[in-house]
Parts: sequence; structure tokens; C-alpha cells
Amino acid sequence: MADMNDKIAQLENFIMKKCLWQFHSRAWDRKNQNENILRMTGELLCGETVNTDSPTDRCYWVDAAYLADSFREKFDWLASMSNKEIKALFVALKERMDFVTVDGSLNAELTDPRY
Amino acid sequence: MNCELITKERAGVINPIFTCQPAGAQFASIGIKECIGIVHGGQGCVMFVRLLISQHLKESFEIASSSVHEDGAVFGALNRVEEAVDVLLMRYPDVKVIPIITTCSTEVIGDDIDGVVIKLQEELLNTKYAGREVHLIPIHCPSFVGSMIHGYDTAVRDFVKYFAEKGETNGKINLLTGWVNPGDVTALKHLLAEMQVDATVLFEIESFDSPLMPDGNHTSHGNTTIADLKDTANAIGTLALNKYEGAKAAQYLEKEFDIPTIIGPTPIGIRNTDTFLKNLKRMTGKPIPESLVRERGIALDAITDLAHMFLADKKVAIYGNPDLVIGLAEFCLDLEMKPKLLLLGDDNLSYAEDPRIKALQENVDYDMEIVMNADLWDLEGRIKDGLELDLILGHSKGRFVAIDYNIPMVRVGFPTYDRAGLYRHPVVGYAGAIWLAEEMANTLFADMEYKRNKEWVLNVW
Amino acid sequence: MPYHEFDCSKCIPERKKHAVDKGPEDDLTKALPLGYLNTIPGSISERGCAYCGAKHVIGTPMKDVIHISHGPVGCTYDTWQTKRYISDNDNFQLKATFATDVKEKHIVFGAEKLLKQNIIEAFRAYPDIKRMTIYQTCATALIGDDIDAIAQEVMDEMPDVDIFVCNSPGFAGPSQSGGHHKINIAWINNKVGTVEPKITSDYVINYVGEYNIQGDQEVMQDYFRRMGIQILSTFTGNGSYDELRSMHGAHLNVLECARSAEYICNELRVRYGIPRLDIDGFGFEPLSSSLLKIGRFFGIEDRAQKIIDEETARWKPELDWYKERLMGKRVCIWPGGSKLWHWANVIHEEMGVKVVSVYTKFGHQGDMEKGIARCEQGALAIDDPNELESLEAMYKLKPDVIFTGKRPGEVAKKIRVPYLNAHAYHNGPYKGYEGWVRFARDIYNAIYSPIHQLSYLDISRDDIPGDGGFRTQRMISDVNLSQEVRTSKNLREYTGKYDTISPLREKTYPEFNK
Repeated sequence: MADMNDKIAQLENFIMKKCLWQFHSRAWDRKNQNENILRMTGELLCGETVNTDSPTDRCYWVDAAYLADSFREKFDWLASMSNKEIKALFVALKERMDFVTVDGSLNAELTDPRY
Repeated sequence: MNCELITKERAGVINPIFTCQPAGAQFASIGIKECIGIVHGGQGCVMFVRLLISQHLKESFEIASSSVHEDGAVFGALNRVEEAVDVLLMRYPDVKVIPIITTCSTEVIGDDIDGVVIKLQEELLNTKYAGREVHLIPIHCPSFVGSMIHGYDTAVRDFVKYFAEKGETNGKINLLTGWVNPGDVTALKHLLAEMQVDATVLFEIESFDSPLMPDGNHTSHGNTTIADLKDTANAIGTLALNKYEGAKAAQYLEKEFDIPTIIGPTPIGIRNTDTFLKNLKRMTGKPIPESLVRERGIALDAITDLAHMFLADKKVAIYGNPDLVIGLAEFCLDLEMKPKLLLLGDDNLSYAEDPRIKALQENVDYDMEIVMNADLWDLEGRIKDGLELDLILGHSKGRFVAIDYNIPMVRVGFPTYDRAGLYRHPVVGYAGAIWLAEEMANTLFADMEYKRNKEWVLNVW
Repeated sequence: MPYHEFDCSKCIPERKKHAVDKGPEDDLTKALPLGYLNTIPGSISERGCAYCGAKHVIGTPMKDVIHISHGPVGCTYDTWQTKRYISDNDNFQLKATFATDVKEKHIVFGAEKLLKQNIIEAFRAYPDIKRMTIYQTCATALIGDDIDAIAQEVMDEMPDVDIFVCNSPGFAGPSQSGGHHKINIAWINNKVGTVEPKITSDYVINYVGEYNIQGDQEVMQDYFRRMGIQILSTFTGNGSYDELRSMHGAHLNVLECARSAEYICNELRVRYGIPRLDIDGFGFEPLSSSLLKIGRFFGIEDRAQKIIDEETARWKPELDWYKERLMGKRVCIWPGGSKLWHWANVIHEEMGVKVVSVYTKFGHQGDMEKGIARCEQGALAIDDPNELESLEAMYKLKPDVIFTGKRPGEVAKKIRVPYLNAHAYHNGPYKGYEGWVRFARDIYNAIYSPIHQLSYLDISRDDIPGDGGFRTQRMISDVNLSQEVRTSKNLREYTGKYDTISPLREKTYPEFNK
């Protein structure tokens, strides 16, 4: 578990430093972004085909592809993980991102109806 | 008549010459030591004026806002003033003077700042700040009346009115400089010193040009003190150099304390400086010393090199503060130049009664237009329609007229942010006459070279 | 919570929750200042108003428009010529500004007639311009003028003109940010969808939240054109009114300043299904990954990669020359709302400086989340800073340079902290690869100014060195560098020209097959 947490922390740190997609201004939007971009990143790392038919999905995908490429390059421990482990890691990462950016967030505006 | 006085025909303003009243009051406020004003209105009314002043002087000045937001605009915002005064006093222990300057929004919603000042004096100042010297001065500056010129004039009057206090005669004169630069104050104080005249200068803003010191001094501020302002009631006379910036205060002192008063002329150029010295002499009985004869001689010598050779018959447009514009026009005439267009940028009806403008109307023997309530479109539009100009005199906001129409321009007045250090140079006094004449000539010279327009003339001069 | 309490603000306890120190164990659920709350009166905050947020920041960069403010003259004058958003339309938007000049009688009897006169006069003065924006101000909001009705009346009478009305008086919100929101929403509600897009490429974007400061937009436009991407509209730098009316026709919204323009992207996404891609135009790596993402979106990542390779090869040696000399320097990123997060990480990674503080004048908590997430531990993050707090922070943090506005820069100067203009830039543009090198060069020149060095000497007390008549920047900056770095053939100082934008306007671009 400690290992898992450490891995999540590394991925989270990378996302926090390099990405902007996790900081959309609405709570629902952040959850959507976390869900779709991280799911696709996981799929890409597992070598699966990602659905990019709609413009919305393509937009998730370009952020996911950047993440997948970067993660592969920076975190060589990913190569030794099975697809199942990667999927589990990304489920946990998504939970962590939801917590940091939404559920545990101190940003009082996320649900402000007037945004 | 050759010289026509007209009012802008359009209803609106395209490229304004002036900003609104609160800016003038804010500029006056920073001239007072231990003073931070609170502008009662939206934050932009302060933020942009501070930026404007810092663009001009390359310094930062402290002015606070009551930060009126939506709720204040709907329900009244006097609570914001109360809080602002308290916060300012808590955090700036040296502050003694707090003008409360209104804006259009708080005048429209009808906030009673005079009432809240009384309330604050009775409550906050008598309790939390008991024993501390604090002066709250309401200054009404509805932005939809007059212009920054009125705001300055009103604020100077309100400061003087608040503080002036009859005591022993102090033997000094009050010198109300109008809206000038640090360099002007230096030049004026020099003339006073040569005349051995002791004066209360309103405002002491030489320090606006503040140094970068090894110990890191972080504030730029004016140096007029509360004692100076109080003592204005005890002067032997008041000289207000400008009719539209400071005369209200002079008139108040005259009416209230019987202080002999002379308003104007703005001592721009040799002739007006002569008159200024004459007025000083008349008021104090002090003679004009040989040193000033010599200084005047140096100015005349310098100008003689320029006037009939280079400056004569050059056609000029001038815009900016009214006293400045009129003073510059008068000096240009003495330099044999031809001011063709004078732009006075607000709707002050009394310009038409100004004897200096009447004198122009009576004596100018070529086509000249004086436009009241003018904007910079009054300049640009006329150029488009064929007005030929050799030179523009005005502040930086008109820079694109000069640039787009290839007309050389001397930056003068407020603000002059697109040239370095102009606030350091005077336009008043003999020193100002030299600077103006030489700056105009050098600007024309650079333009001759840039345009290859008889640039070889300067091979021998 | 690691709140940072300023000594100067102990007496206003509500300020305490507006600053945090980013500690070693802190994430955003532990360290985030409050934001976008009403300003404390009298605190000498640096905030502006909602009118300026709408008119000055977002509206006016539109280049082919008469911009009128309906109110007394001051709002117009004060917000005129204080920005460096240029355009390829001879900078019309910088040169001409219009005020209805509301006077006392209009306050009493209404200013609608005056407004109409103004509109007609303005179109008459500039007969070639058929588009107009009208901005409400405090005074005309309070007297209740119906600007929309007047605008409609004129449009009915003059069918060839189009007018946009933005009702965002100065008091509408805690800061200029209120105005950003209002103009975003007004534009999408009233103007988007009213002109059919002229599509010239298979790859069409709106470039949003980009204001062409010193030519930033034109630098990025150059990259997009080299990739064969059509910028349908730019919101709003160097932007054209009618192009912005056709925003609904793009395939992708590429968003830079989310602070000022995320609203319109969000609405375009909901109403027209156009996705929103947040990018960074600053810094080599973030810019490269941004171009690559856009390329990927359209299936043309090879074109993006070509630009990345060319530009990196051209400019990286110059960036690295500065990086060697800026390593470990302490900087404060103290801008308005978005640059704290655009710069916080990449400036550290690519220039080697240490970000000791970030602040935002008008940003929201969302901006602080991004800024704090991106800066290193130990940084001080301040929301809605005021004069005394900034001074206290500078005395405590002893930065080598700060990036902030012009006037706060003058405050810093007096305590001998050099500043670079974060809003308008010193020698920009700062976007793009070359721009990032220009930023590095400006930082270098600020920090290693020989004059700056002299400002520490007290000639009345200190020993005056008297050891030579000059210093060069390199005599100061290279003292502690290794011989290898000093004489490296792989590194070089900036080699670009003073004006990098004019040549772009002359440039032609390859045709890509549709």
C-alpha cells in the first residue's frame, strides 16, 4: 500500500505541476475531467484502443496521451506493472484527484451557482 | 475676428484631454505630508489614477479606496468609508490627514460623507484613536461635473479651508503653484530664494522626484505639512499662479482672512515671469536682485539664438491644462511662433471671460482657434481636414496624433509618461523659458533630420 | 492550515486567511487562501474594478471596433494607453477611445439621448468602422440608462452597423474579474452565432484568453499557421469583432488565460459542443506539449513536432545560457490572475530560478490552486495583496526580482528590488520559444544591472571600491560560473531582434491540402 501511495503521489505531483485540465472551475466538470482523462490514460498505458470519435473524447484523449507518454518516460516502474495493476492504480489516482480537486478541496467556488 | 473662441460641436469625447475630478483631488492629496486619501467609489477610480501618476512620475503614491462593491451601490456604502478610515489609521500610524474623496457613483447614490465624517469624529476618533491627531476632510468630486482641473482646484480649497487658522502674522506669502511638476517647484523656490521671500508653497512636491537610497526608503510623498496649511491664514499675501488650479483657495483666504491676493499670470515665458517677480515685489516690498537680471539675461541670450532663426512663424497646436495652454500660447507668441489651435479640455464656461483669452481674441492677427470642452479629435480632425502644423505641445495622451501625422511634438503638462524625466524640468520661470524654447528647437531639429527637411541648415549655426 | 499572518495585517484578522505558506506536507486540501472576496476598504489593495475588467482587459483588444464607455470621461481616459495589446490593424484599439461624457444634467434627466448622439458621431468620425462596443459605467448603471435599447434603436436605423453592449459597472464584483465574467457571458449570449464562420481549413480553433500583449497572439498564430490550423477568432487580442461572432464554428477552443475567459469556453462547450483545451503558451516544454496536443486533436502532430524541433534547436541554447546564470535566483510572481500558474513551474524548471512567492490581485481560489500546485515548497501565496503586505513580503523574502505591475514595480524599486512588468512585459513578447528567451534575458538584465549593484553602496559610510570605471552584466553574473559554462560553445546570449512581430506580419505560409 505504501508503494501504491508513493506511486500515486508521483503521478499526482506530475499532474499538478504540468497540467491544467484538473482545475476547471465547476465541481462536476472536475470530476468529469478526472474520470475521462485518467481512465483514458490508464487505457493507453495498458495498450488498449481509446475511443476518440467525438470531439469531446478527442479532447480528453490529447491530454491523456500527453500523460501516458510522460508517465512512461518518467516512471519506469510502470513498465513492470500488469494491466490489472495499472487499472487499479488509475482508479486510486482518480479517487485521489477527486479528493484533492473536489471532495477535499478548499475552493469554495466550485459549487457557487454564479461562478 | 482672426481668433475664434468656440465650443466643441460634438456631444461626446473622442480621445479625452482630461480625466475626471477625483484624479485632481488625488493629485492634490499626495502633496500633503502624512496624508493618505480615501476615494469613495469603485476601485478603478483609485487604481488607475495611481497608475497614471506613477506613469508620469515613475514613482508610486499611496491612495486608498473604500472599495464600493455591488451591495454598497445598492444599499449605500458609508459603512465602507467608516471601515476604510479605521483600517487606514490602524495600519498607517503616521497618517494624520485623510481626505474622503467622492466619485460619480457615491454622489449618485447620495452617500452623506459630511455626515459620516462627523460621526467618525464623534465616535471612532474620540474613542479608539483618542489622543491621535487625525483630520477627516470630505471632498466632493462628482465625476460628472467639471474635470480633473476642478477636482484639483476644489481639493486645494477644501484643504486650505479645513486647516487655515488665524494666528500671528507669519510674514510669508502663500504660493499656490497649481498642478505642476517637481521641477517647477524647484524653479519657483529658486526665484523666491533669490528674492529673499519666505513662502508657504502649496504644494511642496519637489520630493515627488524621490531618490533611491542605500537604506531603502520606500515612499514618495509631498512635504506640505499641517502647520503649513494652518499658517496660510497668517500670510501677508497669496499668489495663486493659476486661475483654474488653486485660485479657489486663494479667494477663500482673501474673503475669510483678508489676505491680499493676486491670481496669475502663470509664469510661463519671460514676460509672465517678469510679472510674477513684479507681483512678488509688490506683495513683499523686496527688490528684484541683480542675480535674477543675470538669469533673465541668460534666458534671453539663449532664446535669441533660436527665436527669429528657427521658431518664428512655426505653427503650433497646444492642449492640456488651461493655465498651461494659455501660458504656453503667450510664450509662443513672444517667440514669434503662431499658435493656431488651443484646446481646453472641459466645459468650464468661464474660459470665455478669461482676460488672457480676450487679449488673444483682440490682438491675434492670423487665424487662431480656441476650442472649449475640446478633445483630441478636435486636433486630429482638423489635421485631417488640412490644418498645417509644425509642432504640437501637449501631454502624452496625444502622442499618436503626432506619430500618425508626422508632426513633431514637445511633451509638456500632465501626464508625460512617454518621455524620460520631464517632471524634473520646469516650464515656469526663466529656467522654464529656456527649457521650453530649447526643447522646442531641438525637437524641430530632430524632425528636420528625420525627414531630411533642410537638415543641412544645422551644419553651421 | 499553514496560513501566513502578516505583521502589518494583524489588526485586520480577516486578512489572515488570504495568504498561505506552502509547507512540505501540504496539498491543496490543506493550504489554500480565500479568494475573490470583497476587498477590505482602506487596505490599499491593488485591485481594479469590474468596468476595467470588461472594457480594458477583454473588450478593447478587439481591433476593428469603436469602444465607447457610457459615463463621465474619467473611466475612458484612465483606462486609455495603459496597456500593450497591439494589433495588426495599425493599433486602432490603442489609439482611439470614446466617452459619452456624462454630465450633471444627464445624471438628473438621463443620458440615453446623449448616448445615441455619441454613437452616431463616433461612426461619423470613423466611417470605415462599422462595429462598436458600449460599456456601462458606475454612473450610467445607477441612473438606469437602457443602453441595450439605444443600441438596438441605432442598429435598426443603421443596418450596416453592429453594436455590442456590456453592462459591467465598476462596482459589479470584488475586482476586475467580475467584469471578465460579465463580458464573456454577454458576448456568448448576444453575439456568438450571429455571423456565419468563414472556414478555410480542416483544422479550426478559437484561440481564447489571449490578449496579444506585445504580440503574444501573433507569435502563437505563426505556429498555428505553420501547422495549417485556422484561427477562426481570437478572444480577444488582435481579434476581430465579426470573427468573434462566428466562434460557434470552431472545432476546438484553445484556452490560455482561463481566469478571464474560461466562461466563454465553458459556454461554447455546453451550447455548441466545442471542447475546451487549456494550454500554456509560456515556456518550452509546456508550449511544446500544448502544440502537440492541438496537433494530436487534429491528427497532425507531425506538423507540431516539426515546429517544436525547429524552434527548440534554434532557441534552447539561448535559454540555457540564461538558465546557467539565473540558477537559484529568488523571484516573486506577482501578476493579476493567470501568470502565477502559467509561470510558477516552468520558470523554475527552465530558468532555474526559485519561486519564493506567488500572488494574485484579482484571481479566484481556482487560480491559487493552480499556482500553489505548480510552485515549490516554501513559497508564500497571497490573495488580493496590499501595499504593506507586499513590502513586508519583499523585506522577508529578499527576492532578486519580482514580476508585477508598473506601479507596484515602483514600490519595489525603492527598496532596491528590480521588477519586470508581468502584465505588459518589458521587452516582450514572452510567449513562444523566442519569447521565453526574451523573458529570461529581461530577468537577467534586471538582476545583473551594474546600476542596481551601485544602489547598495552608501558613499558616506562604505568603502568606495574605486576599482574601475564600469562593470558589465557578465562581470557580475559569471563570477561563480565554471570555466566550462562561461566558455561553452553550446550556449549563447539572445540573438533576436528588437521587434520580432513586424516580420511575422509579412510572412507567407505553406498551403496544406484540405
